[in-house]
Order: sequence, then C-alpha cells, then structure tokens
Amino acid sequence: MSAPILSLSGVTKSYPRGGMLGSVFGARAPVLALDDVSLDVMAGDVVGIVGESGSGKSTLAQLAVGLTRPTAGTIRLGGEDLGLLMRDHAGPWRRRIQMAFQDSSSALNPRKSIGRCLEETLVLAGVDKAARPAEAAALLGRVGLGAEMLPRLPHELSGGQRQRVGLARALAMKPDVLIADEPVSALDVSLQAQVINLLGRLTGELGLTLLFISHDLALVRALCRRVIVMRKGRIVEEGPCLQVLESPRDDYTRLLLSAVPKGIEGRRRPPARTSNPEFPRP
Amino acid sequence: MTKLRQALAIVDWSGWLGAAIVVAMVGAAVLAPWIAPFDPVAVNIEDRLTAPDAVHWLGTDQAGRDVFSRILFGARASLAVGIGAVLIGGLIGVSAGIFAAYKGGLAELAVMRVVDAVASIPLLVWAIAIVGVLGVGPVQVGPLSLPNEVKIVVLVGCLFSPVFARVTHAVARRVVSADFVKARWLQGAGHWAIVTGDVLPNCLSPIIVQATLLVAIGIVVEASVSFVGLGVQPPAASWGTMLSDARNAIYSGEWWLPVFPGLAISITVVGFNLLGDAVRDLFDPRSEARTLVA
Repeated sequence: MSAPILSLSGVTKSYPRGGMLGSVFGARAPVLALDDVSLDVMAGDVVGIVGESGSGKSTLAQLAVGLTRPTAGTIRLGGEDLGLLMRDHAGPWRRRIQMAFQDSSSALNPRKSIGRCLEETLVLAGVDKAARPAEAAALLGRVGLGAEMLPRLPHELSGGQRQRVGLARALAMKPDVLIADEPVSALDVSLQAQVINLLGRLTGELGLTLLFISHDLALVRALCRRVIVMRKGRIVEEGPCLQVLESPRDDYTRLLLSAVPKGIEGRRRPPARTSNPEFPRP
Repeated sequence: MTKLRQALAIVDWSGWLGAAIVVAMVGAAVLAPWIAPFDPVAVNIEDRLTAPDAVHWLGTDQAGRDVFSRILFGARASLAVGIGAVLIGGLIGVSAGIFAAYKGGLAELAVMRVVDAVASIPLLVWAIAIVGVLGVGPVQVGPLSLPNEVKIVVLVGCLFSPVFARVTHAVARRVVSADFVKARWLQGAGHWAIVTGDVLPNCLSPIIVQATLLVAIGIVVEASVSFVGLGVQPPAASWGTMLSDARNAIYSGEWWLPVFPGLAISITVVGFNLLGDAVRDLFDPRSEARTLVA
C-alpha cells in the first residue's frame, strides 16, 4: 500500500511548434503541454483531474499509458520505469494500465463486432480460446450490457452503450489502473449518470485505481475521493475532493468553481442536470 | 446468409448493371477461344470489309477477320492490363500509403514526396516513353520470356501506384489517429495486427472505388498505347489496335470498324465505374444501417 501504483516525477512534455519543419528550423519556443508535474497515485485511489481545455489533462493521460514519451522526468508504474517497460511492447505490464477514451464513435473499430473487439482483446490478455466467448459476455454483463450486443457493430449501439463497451474492453485486460479521459463529456446527461455510476461501482467492486479526467466538477465531486486541478500544464491545487471543492485555496480553482452554474449542489451522486461549463480563460 | 442478402439489397439497378457488364466482359475474355465464332487472326481476303450480317455479326475488317471474334479476344488484353495494373499498383500504392500514414515523421515525408515526383509526370507520357525506350519485343527475365503485354501491365501498375498511395495515405492518416488504433496499441497488439486488422479494413472503401475507376483508365491506357503501336502487337487483337486499324475506315464508310471496339471500351469503362459505386456503398458499414432502418 505504501508505494504508489502510478507515479510521475518532474514530468515535462513539450511539442515543437509548427510541425516538423518548425522543429528543424526551431525559431520559436516549443509548446509546453506539461510543465514539471509530479504526482503519486496510490492503489485503489479514485483521482479526478480537472482543468480547462489545454491544461494538460489529456497529455497527462497519454503519458501515463505510454502513448507518448515525456520530454523530461520519469513515470513509474508499480515502481518500474515506464520507459523501460515500454521496450517490451506486448509485455505483461500492459495489463496493469488501460485507458477509456472520450469519443465513443472513434474508440471502437467500426468494422468489428463488439464480440470480436472484446475477444481479440482477451487474446492479448492471455485468456484461453475456449474461455473467451463466456468471458466476453461476462465483461458486457459487468458494464450492464446484455450478451445480445456481441454480434452487433458499433454503429448499431448508442453512444452510452459504446462507451460502456469501451470500458469493458479496457477491463478485459484486468488493469490495476484505469485512465478515463473525459469518458462522459460526449454523452447526454442521463447517460453520463449511468457511466459515472458504473465507474463508481467498478472501482468499489474491482478495487480499480481510477484517474478520471474531466472538466465537469459536479461529476468529479460525485465520483472521486481526491482531485487535482491543472492549469497551463501545471498542478495548481490537489487534495481530498471535498476539501478542494468546498474551500479552494487557489484562485484558479475558485474561478473554475464559480463557473459552474448554481443549483447543482449534489454531493455523492451525479446531479439530475449538469452542464459543461465553458471555463473563462483568465 | 441473410446478412449478405440484406447487404446486397442496397445495390440498386445501376450497380447490378455494372456488375453484369463486368461479368460479361470478364466472361468474354476468359471464354474467348470457345465462344468466338471465328479465328481472330485468320485472314480471309474474300470476305474483307463485309458489313454486319448473319455470319459476321459485327462485320469484318480489311483483312477479312471477324470483328466480333477480335473484340472477344481483345477483351483479354484490355482487361489483363486494366485489372493486372490495378492489382500491381494497388499492392505497391496501398502499402506505401499505409506505411507512410502509420509511420509518420520523416518516413511519411520521404515516401509521399517520392509519390508526388512519380505522379507529376502524366501517365500516358510515362507509358509511351518507357515502352518506346524498352521496345515492343518480349522481355527476358531469367528463364522467362515475357511478352510486351506484361511489360505494359507492370508499367501501368507502377504508374497507378501513386494514385493508390495518395488515396490510401489520406484516409489512413485519419484512421491511424483514431482511438481504436490507440486502444489496440495499449493492449500490446503488434504493428502488423493493427495495420491489417484495424487500419487497412477502414481504408478499403475509397481504395476500392479508386481501383474500379483505375481499371477503366487502365483499359483506356492499353487502348491508347496499342493505338500508337507500342502495345499489343499485330496480328493479335486488342481494342486499341482495332481502333488504330480502323482510322482510315472512318471516312471510307466502314463504320463498324471503329464503332464496335469503341463501344466495347466505353461499355466496359462505364461498367467498372458503376460497379465501383455499388461496391463503395456495400463496404460502408453505415449504409447497411440505412436499409435496416428503412
């Protein structure tokens, strides 16, 4: 319990401005997407990461799963350097960390049935061929979908159903850590509640460590125990969810909170009506 | 089976017409030795330049050869060049386009600039220049002696490859950045599995449409190259050589000499285009939903 399951220390990520030629002729300074971020996530933690667009939330997610490499700093997964782990592309460490994506229409291959999508994931998760169909059905059951979804193609599902299939696919790898990058922001409000409840249940049942990235403070409050507020690639405030959201110490957090429309004071459940506030750029 | 029937239900009459034309032309090419009423190269001076009648359905040419039989045999050269070139060009171009899109960075830049360079010279100019330099005789590759037609198939195929590369690259770039590709990567799937299982299948519909259009262009290129005497060599029949031979007949009144090979080319080209549109609709997974809803 003492060692963090996921830890970032001094992680910086910069992108060259103006594409490849820009990096060759490097006249202008690169864009700093993440600026010296350090973060420890303990096993079983449910951490919300909030911030406006461009604050570095998604970059953080991509770095944590190894979709991009940091410009500086180290990321450790279960105490092991992610850079070293990544040398073994299909290594067992892949099963420890998985990601759920924002856009459900892009997250599933439109030409593969749900069953095939899950089963080919189970192949890489090391599940025997004979056990795969039952396991795929069980995964769908876990996210509240019936086995009749298996032969369907993604376009035959609703956005909420697709999002849950995406979760089932991530769970198929039996991850310790799940990173959910804005998993509900493309869904309408009633579906948001479904998916949030599902995530809450899964973290409880499976002891899953969850990094929940969102710009919707009400959802973070409903789901997370701990919250991290990001702005311009830096962590400006972090702490227990209630403390940060009730009595923010940082000006920016206060600004974020004040941008949430009144009347959504729901505590541990997602509110009946939420909105996606446009945060003013300070 | 029902799934196939549902899918085929979206093919409209023009798609079936295209398919029928293509099947008929391919059938004619394959079965030519058995269904042709006359020997396509047999000279019969007594029957020269007869108008279409009950014996010679499409008339005879200056050497008394049966035009109908020559069109059937000519379909072989035309379709071989059209389809063969598309297969070769598709193999090279699709591989290059997907490689460039998937790999990104400098490799992408290099591959696509080579593609631009090859594509910047017009197809017919390339074809005529290279066949002109290599000559029209057979090519010796090791123990094999390849006829001129093979040279043209390979050549036109190479010239088609930039078109395939560009189309594939454009669509593959979008597919490669999709989340389902990232998801596969995060599961530890290999490059080959991702490219063949996730990237390529989602690039197919524009590639197939392009392929059917290029078959049509390939047929025209073969006809053009043969027309200028660098393609199929006489006395063998091809639609291009037949048109070429018919040039002088246009003014002397033997209308059947240019009209029928010309019709064969036009109908085949239209057939492949119609088929291409239908196949594109079939390959779009969303179009299936349209019929299920309707």
